[in-house]
Amino acid sequence: MSVDAAHLSTALSAPVRHETGATKTATGAFGRRLAVLALRQGSMAVFIGVLVYFSIAAPYFFTVGNIGNVLGQSAIAGVLAIGLTIVIIAGGSNVVTGGIDLSLAANMGLSAAVYASLLQAGQGDAVAIIGALGTGLVIGAINAAAITLAGIVPLLATLAVMNVVAGLELVLTQNTVVPASSDFLSAVSASGPFGIPVLAYVLLGFAALVAALVQYTPLGLRLYAVGEFPEAARAAGLRVKLFISGAFLASGLCGGFAGILSVSYLSGSTTGAGDMLLPVVVTALLGTVFSRRLVPTIGGTLLATLFVSSLINGFQLLNISSTLVSGVQGLLILLVVSATTLLQRKGNQ
Amino acid sequence: MASNASSASSSLRGLARYALVAAFVVVFAIFSAIAPAFLSGANLLSVLVNNFALLAIVAIAMTFAVAAGGIDLSVGTAIDFASFAFVSLVLAGQPIPLAILGGLAGGTLVGVFNALLISGIGISPFLATLGTLFVGRSAQQLLTNGGNPVYLPPSGVPEAFRFLGHGTLAGIPVPLVLAFAVILGTYLILSHTRFGRVVLATGIQASVVRYSGIALSRYTALTYVLVSAIAAIVGLIVTSTVTVYIPSSGNAFLLNAIGATFIGTTLDPHGRPNIPGTVLGVLLLSIVANGLLLSGLNFYWQQVATGLLIFFVLAIGFANRKAASRA
Amino acid sequence: MATSVVWNEADDIIRLSDIVKRFGGAQALSGASLAVRRGTVHGLVGQNGAGKSTLIKLLAGLHAADEGVIEIDGTAYASLSPQQVEHLGIHFIHQDRLLVPTFTVGEALFLGREPRIPGTPFLDRKRMRQTSAEILDRYFGLRLPHSALIGELTAAEKQIVQITRALLDNPKILVFDEPTAALVRREAELLFTLIRRLRDEGITILYISHYLSEIVDLCDTVTVLRNGRDVATLPVKKTSAKEIGALMVNRDIAELYPKPKVLPGRPFLELDGLGLANRYADVSLTLHRGEVLGLTGLVGSGAKELLRTLFGLETATAGTVAIEGETVFSASPAAATAKRLALVPEDRRRDGVALDLTVSENTTLASLDRFGRAGLLDKGAEKRQARELIERLQIKTDSADALVRTLSGGNQQKVAIAKWLSRQSEIYLLDEPSVGVDIAAKVEIYTLIGELAARGAAVIVLSSDIDELLGITDRVLVFFRGRITREFISAETSPDQVLAELTGANETLRHVG
Repeated sequence: MSVDAAHLSTALSAPVRHETGATKTATGAFGRRLAVLALRQGSMAVFIGVLVYFSIAAPYFFTVGNIGNVLGQSAIAGVLAIGLTIVIIAGGSNVVTGGIDLSLAANMGLSAAVYASLLQAGQGDAVAIIGALGTGLVIGAINAAAITLAGIVPLLATLAVMNVVAGLELVLTQNTVVPASSDFLSAVSASGPFGIPVLAYVLLGFAALVAALVQYTPLGLRLYAVGEFPEAARAAGLRVKLFISGAFLASGLCGGFAGILSVSYLSGSTTGAGDMLLPVVVTALLGTVFSRRLVPTIGGTLLATLFVSSLINGFQLLNISSTLVSGVQGLLILLVVSATTLLQRKGNQ
Repeated sequence: MASNASSASSSLRGLARYALVAAFVVVFAIFSAIAPAFLSGANLLSVLVNNFALLAIVAIAMTFAVAAGGIDLSVGTAIDFASFAFVSLVLAGQPIPLAILGGLAGGTLVGVFNALLISGIGISPFLATLGTLFVGRSAQQLLTNGGNPVYLPPSGVPEAFRFLGHGTLAGIPVPLVLAFAVILGTYLILSHTRFGRVVLATGIQASVVRYSGIALSRYTALTYVLVSAIAAIVGLIVTSTVTVYIPSSGNAFLLNAIGATFIGTTLDPHGRPNIPGTVLGVLLLSIVANGLLLSGLNFYWQQVATGLLIFFVLAIGFANRKAASRA
Repeated sequence: MATSVVWNEADDIIRLSDIVKRFGGAQALSGASLAVRRGTVHGLVGQNGAGKSTLIKLLAGLHAADEGVIEIDGTAYASLSPQQVEHLGIHFIHQDRLLVPTFTVGEALFLGREPRIPGTPFLDRKRMRQTSAEILDRYFGLRLPHSALIGELTAAEKQIVQITRALLDNPKILVFDEPTAALVRREAELLFTLIRRLRDEGITILYISHYLSEIVDLCDTVTVLRNGRDVATLPVKKTSAKEIGALMVNRDIAELYPKPKVLPGRPFLELDGLGLANRYADVSLTLHRGEVLGLTGLVGSGAKELLRTLFGLETATAGTVAIEGETVFSASPAAATAKRLALVPEDRRRDGVALDLTVSENTTLASLDRFGRAGLLDKGAEKRQARELIERLQIKTDSADALVRTLSGGNQQKVAIAKWLSRQSEIYLLDEPSVGVDIAAKVEIYTLIGELAARGAAVIVLSSDIDELLGITDRVLVFFRGRITREFISAETSPDQVLAELTGANETLRHVG
């Protein structure tokens, strides 16, 4: 029955929740909702507070040009985080046994390398786009097969795939930057209407498209059911493994798409794509505080991405060492997770 | 439910359990055949000292976290903090033994922080240690003026400092001696003590441990402290070997340590994390790295080949366990 | 061979005839038949291993029969697929309520067949909300805020949502598999009313339960399975829980509650004015060595919380606990076990035994200190202890090294008790010890409780099965709204008396008097 090995599924689960068998009272549920509201509004307040502070401390921060920059700079990480969010939704919130795709960043690196190499080999953009997206899709397919057919827990399956993919990127590029330029790439990295980078529009458009699919269609609802309670999904006649495979395919595709954006943004492939992995994981997890039910959502992930990018941008404008960003991200995740953990504990009492 | 027809397939599964051993033997044989230098004593010793010893200690640390039902993404942070404390104390002119103790304490501090988050607040280990990893990275950059390495002046280094990395005990390199000591000690702890049993039981079903009258949160806290303390040893060895502290360099071990631990679980009949399995997993990764190097294969293909090997060992191990749980 | 009620075969909506099902060499069903009449509530009972679950899985299309015929609504099938089953209008209500906790009621109800806004691919949330509110109100008089999440509902409300899910498909047959396992008595009553109403609307109900009193209460007809065959199909009006129980085990009901005569010894555990804020207050009692004390009460009455307090899972806010005259304070299970207390928790598979540890490892988990040798575990001694307890409790397992997951419910429960025997605990707190345990194992557990008392231990049994409670205890204390309202001498009390006290039916009388 169970997809993963019996021991691992229990061994890797989150700490024991302190559930009492007692039925929850109406006031308990109400109290919890109030606390969730406080957490959600609190996070929004922090987000807005930080923006306001930056705007006052560095007047340039709150200009159309700069906001466009922040959006544009978020595009690559944002697309990756959205891909990861889909996987977390379909795999459940237990990050070890549930949904995680550690191969995403490496996927982006390889897809970008494939794109740049194809251009170098004299192919056109169309072929390169197909090559990059195809690369992403194949990686997604391998992840999906390892998880649903071989039954490897996602954390390990995608970890192993990540190693292979990162190796393939090195093989392809010999660990160098493969330059790439074409009219299409220049168009994507150019400035669009209102002086805002095209990449910003791409991010917003992509997020809107995926959000429509995930938050507003039956498909999306089923994806949540599969992740949160696979038995319930199965009982409702849904083919759980198909959904999980689909989520990994989608995430692979996002990796390929991010690869294209990255080639355009950097005018070539780049080494060290793997460094983006953990920030992207943190971003996708941070996003959950922006949802009423404390579940991952596309909108929440987008907000979290923009929050982190604003921090980096604001720190730069204020001449604060950007190395602090990693610390702030770490503290944020700890704060958010502590708050939700204490909340759940309280809710269960 | 009992079915006799499955006895043949169950013995097949018994064999599949040894996928790890088989992979090891096959890989060993192949490299012996294609790279004559591989089988030489000098080479095998260098594999043990340069590839095996350090990763084995980190992977063992990871094994405890995984055995307790968690994971520790901040083992690298513990390595870094140990290294930083060690180097700083030596630079400050403190005697080496004190610097070693200080280094161990510095690394262990990371575990104390994790223990507070996991056992105190109740955050899931993945998220808690991910947070620690990020905060730790930033802290190191603050401590080092934005991430500059801290070198020990070649002239000012006491000979004793280099002992952990370069010394020998009865002719055996010290890193290897330390690795064997850690392997033996942790094997006894995990498989033959009350603490080890409680750790494994916690990983399998934590609430039962609590309902059995065992102080669960104390054991969990102790586990994460132990993980960092073990990882800290690696920080000392690395620093002693290269006489420099490089901020956030410890993370290089993270993924291989996780990989080796889970490869190791395929050795146990119930899929539990175990020290012999982890050690064999590390050994496999080490000889593959070394053998590929000697085989003259393009350096970058080596990473692909290693990745594929890990992938297939995991796939066989898990597919086999999946079949077993279905029966 | 089966005593059958005579009726017109055309009235049967389900007919399973002479079904044989083998798994490898073992025969799970050896010629079982089941005929369910249209528009009735039909009970299906049997011990674990009698073939109940296999029969249900055949009906659900999850297994195919080796021999025999399945007829649904007059059409014969060699085997069924799950899709066919759904198409035929057969729906299953499982004991685990399969609903996503973070979904709204509307989302949970419509998962898998969501309405779309016409002409778009998007969910019609408004329609989901309105339809679900309407159905819940019409059928069950249940009004929930439309933003309510499944996770915020009570167990009974969740069950209603699950039944509603099935009703949306206009089912002909509803199969309830142990539906009351997680319900409080009051909630169960509500469920029974509902089931009767569904029957009156023409839906046929197949009802599977371990609780014979429920079967007698609710069903029109009952089929008893034993050893893979149907041994009897009886109209419920002409039988009793005792007769059904006897058919299930083929043994006299008097043997069900073997209670050795033990004379209570010295006072062992004394509670004085014990209280836990908002849960229970002013609990004073004395438990003697050799005594088996029963506790009962509705959920929320405070009885369960009292056990949890004694075991250190809750901290008392008033009063004292003394063991052999010495005041003790248990702030944690660790402290409580050190005082020789043992808890066998109700949720056995979560708290009682570790399913993926071996029998031996589970047995010694609470007493690892006893198996130390020079700081290391003496695994040989551990194994010997486990084998001794396997023998003593007649735990049916392949070996001491088998995973507890592979054991039946009753044998898992014996392992949960063995854990404390290994620790040589002396005050046993048993929380619903026989839930989900088949009758044969129940009897063995009752015998064991008697033995513990005979050896000088003290036992507190919390149970909502009143027959059981009166059968195996010396005294029964009834909790009502956080207080002990009555003490009964078990041997001199009838179940109705306890029931009346339990539900507060006596409350008004007493106030008048």
